Amino acid sequence: MDNIYLPYLATIEDIYEEAPDVRTCRLVFKDPKVRDTFDFKTGQFALYSAFGLGESTFCIASSPTHKGYIQCTFRKSGRVTGGLSDLGIGDTMGFRGPYGNWFPIDKWKGKNILFIAGGIGFPPVRSVIWNCLDRRKDFGDITIVYGAKSVADLVYKNELAQWSRMSDVKLVQAVDPGGETPDWKGKIGFVPTVLEQAAPSPNNAIAVTCGPPIMIKFVLQALNKLGFSDEQVYTTLENKMKCGVGKCGRCNVGDIYICKEGPVYTAAEVKRMYNDF
Amino acid sequence: MTTKFLKKENLGKLIDTLIGEGSIFVAPRMGARQVVYAPVSKFEEIVFDYIIPINSFKEFLFPQTETVAAFSIHKEGVDLRGVEIEPKETVIFGSRPCDAASVASLRAVFNWDFKDEFYNRREDKAVVMTVACTKADDSCFCTTVNLTPDSQKGSDILLQETSGGDYAVEAITEKGKGFMDRFNNFFEPLPTAYSPLPTVDIKPIAGVDVQKVKEWLKDTKHYENPLWQELARKCIGCGACTFACPTCHCFDIVDEGSAFEGERIKNWDACQFEFFTLHTSGHNPRDTQYKRWRNRFMCKFNFYPNKFSSRGCVGCGRCIRVCPVRLDITEVMEEISSLR
Amino acid sequence: MENTLRQKARELLEKGEVKVVIGYGWNKRKTHTTPVFITKPQDVEKLIFNPLCVNNLSLYLTRKFPDIKALGKPAIVAKGCDIKTIAVLISESQLKREDVVILGMSCNGVVYKQELWKGELKPEIMPTKCHNCDVRNPHIADIIIGEKVNFTPPDTPAGMVFDKIRELDKKSNSERWDFWIEHFNRCIKCYACRQVCPLCYCERCIAEKNMPQWIETSAHPRGNLAWNLKRAMDLTGRCTFCGECERACPVNIPLNLVNQKLALVVKDAFGHKAGYDEKVHPPMIVFNMEDTEDFIK
Repeated sequence: MDNIYLPYLATIEDIYEEAPDVRTCRLVFKDPKVRDTFDFKTGQFALYSAFGLGESTFCIASSPTHKGYIQCTFRKSGRVTGGLSDLGIGDTMGFRGPYGNWFPIDKWKGKNILFIAGGIGFPPVRSVIWNCLDRRKDFGDITIVYGAKSVADLVYKNELAQWSRMSDVKLVQAVDPGGETPDWKGKIGFVPTVLEQAAPSPNNAIAVTCGPPIMIKFVLQALNKLGFSDEQVYTTLENKMKCGVGKCGRCNVGDIYICKEGPVYTAAEVKRMYNDF
Repeated sequence: MTTKFLKKENLGKLIDTLIGEGSIFVAPRMGARQVVYAPVSKFEEIVFDYIIPINSFKEFLFPQTETVAAFSIHKEGVDLRGVEIEPKETVIFGSRPCDAASVASLRAVFNWDFKDEFYNRREDKAVVMTVACTKADDSCFCTTVNLTPDSQKGSDILLQETSGGDYAVEAITEKGKGFMDRFNNFFEPLPTAYSPLPTVDIKPIAGVDVQKVKEWLKDTKHYENPLWQELARKCIGCGACTFACPTCHCFDIVDEGSAFEGERIKNWDACQFEFFTLHTSGHNPRDTQYKRWRNRFMCKFNFYPNKFSSRGCVGCGRCIRVCPVRLDITEVMEEISSLR
Repeated sequence: MENTLRQKARELLEKGEVKVVIGYGWNKRKTHTTPVFITKPQDVEKLIFNPLCVNNLSLYLTRKFPDIKALGKPAIVAKGCDIKTIAVLISESQLKREDVVILGMSCNGVVYKQELWKGELKPEIMPTKCHNCDVRNPHIADIIIGEKVNFTPPDTPAGMVFDKIRELDKKSNSERWDFWIEHFNRCIKCYACRQVCPLCYCERCIAEKNMPQWIETSAHPRGNLAWNLKRAMDLTGRCTFCGECERACPVNIPLNLVNQKLALVVKDAFGHKAGYDEKVHPPMIVFNMEDTEDFIK
């Protein structure tokens, strides 16, 4: 019987502690058939299970250009993420997905890409960043604006260092006022403000943003101020989900089921939705 | 299709035969001082004098609690096994036309794109034998939402009560026809003279214009209308309406068990509960009760018809009957219909 | 009576002493009563009072209703039995006495079996709580509306609920267990009992706490038993027998039985009856040197 609620089993191959309570797990499917055929597109999400505790939804944080494994990054904050955090290398996680739509990066060929992320909203953006970097010649300028509450809360620190060394990537890092350390060399300020100061050009550009709802709201305003139209701005909406397949009825924003028609939308699409997120 | 005749005594024989074959026979019966759809073991348990059972029969297609997978956890990893279901034939006798019409709505949501075989296998094995309504109460409003008390929609077999307590029986679907052919010794030819009881006359609620309600809801501007807060103020946020509703389909998925083995279970859930949409971060898109109630109303009269081209509301009136504060969905329809 | 009620409500709203009157009104078809929230003096005509006014409106005074709180100071139309829950809310610091105007309604009983209601009150259509009511004349109120009612409740509690309690008391443990399992098995976890209960005001109910999962959310016997027992224990010594949980239950679980049984136990052990004095705390939340310990075996 075809069972849409049955997850794949995956082994945790590696764990990186990104920030306090935030970790990235590298997963490899146990079933060799799945391992060989599994594919996804950047921006899609999945349901990860800690068996005995349940399933939790987050994006696939790695890029589909990196074959053979997937990564997920999550913050330990509830029952399931708590359980996932208790797992170690070699332990088993459940994985159901990939679900939802994706960032249409094939349509962005030749454009400048601006990434704006805040806090734990970085993982979906990171997947797109790696996807674009792995096809670097397809795109124009690449700018990354990333901020977190404090220096400790910045995730993907190694990769941030790596990107800061790349000559063809412009990286702007920021922490909220009060979150800096004495040797902090990045900006101090909230992401929307830092974005306005960086003043990237809207010409031939696409912006990709993800972060807490309040940040997204002000980032969209800042982008409008900079001259970005709503069609140029992409974001990913994360609502609570249980099934991921358009049945359980809780991720809807009006008549839009985020798990099926989303989670990736342009700002123009978001503005047409019912104010229900 | 041809009309047949089912005598009451043959109904009893039909039940005995079906149960003998291992089928489940669901019918209106008494359960804790009220009429409910529940399995019966013999003819005598059936209640014939009823308006509509307090529950819908969706629980026989989409059980309130259903295990979808089982697992055991040990040192070397996790053993995971998906549950296979082989439902027994389930005959739902005495369904009402409103309930029968709801099956299409459940089917739509469980089958758009991904297919939920737990639902499909159960529905495949269900035979819906609807009895047209000869009585209604002040909560019934099927005609207001464009159904009728003798509608065929969703039924496999439609029965009409006769004055003698027997039934004129019509097969509506191939499944229904097959069922009647299988038991043709019980479904007799129609006698030359019989007097069917008149179908109840339910007047559509004059102040309600369903099309207008739908149009009004479609306009995203109206989402912020202060009316919502006012209309839903008395709502206490229980799940009685959603659990009684034949088209409400929302569910939760939980793990239960010990540290070493357990089950993954699909449980009915309700959009009326505060924690239904609560994010782990603490953000809740529907943080107050009127927003949750607005979602339910929108789902019935806007999202469902638009998205699944099916009915979100069949007018059974259960949400009105079970509501502890008598929050009446038709009154809200009236309010919205009266807006200019 | 209704005229006096409307007049008082109008005065309170006009003088600005309250911003909202929480009361009863008719539904559109005038078949059932329903809670109404009157904020404008001209709307007081919507207020009604009759034996069909069964709801315990004190529910709307709790923190479960921030939207109602935001309207401003309330006046509430309350029968004696509803005032009992207000008293418990005050004693548990959920409400200050001066923050609510109580319009206490003299009451001759309410009607549960609406289908049998022909405009007159007969004992057989009234719930058990009315048969034993000693607060038909409101015991705590700012304004009492209606004429004094002469009614003396029986010395021994009478009515279906108490008859059944006495019947169950005579049964063996295993018979009682079977009785309750059969009833709890019907539970559909809609939480109408909790939501309609003025004393279930926890910001996060234990049923929704999942670290750890105290109560399984599935509607299987284990989860149902855990939920119903937990709720009964939480109401011990606090429940005022307004009967709303059982009235709201879509599957007719006899919740009054378990709650009243526990109320009798508390009365025997501590001499406490909930809801008569807003200055007295429920026994289960206070420590008293005189507490008997004979329940520890």
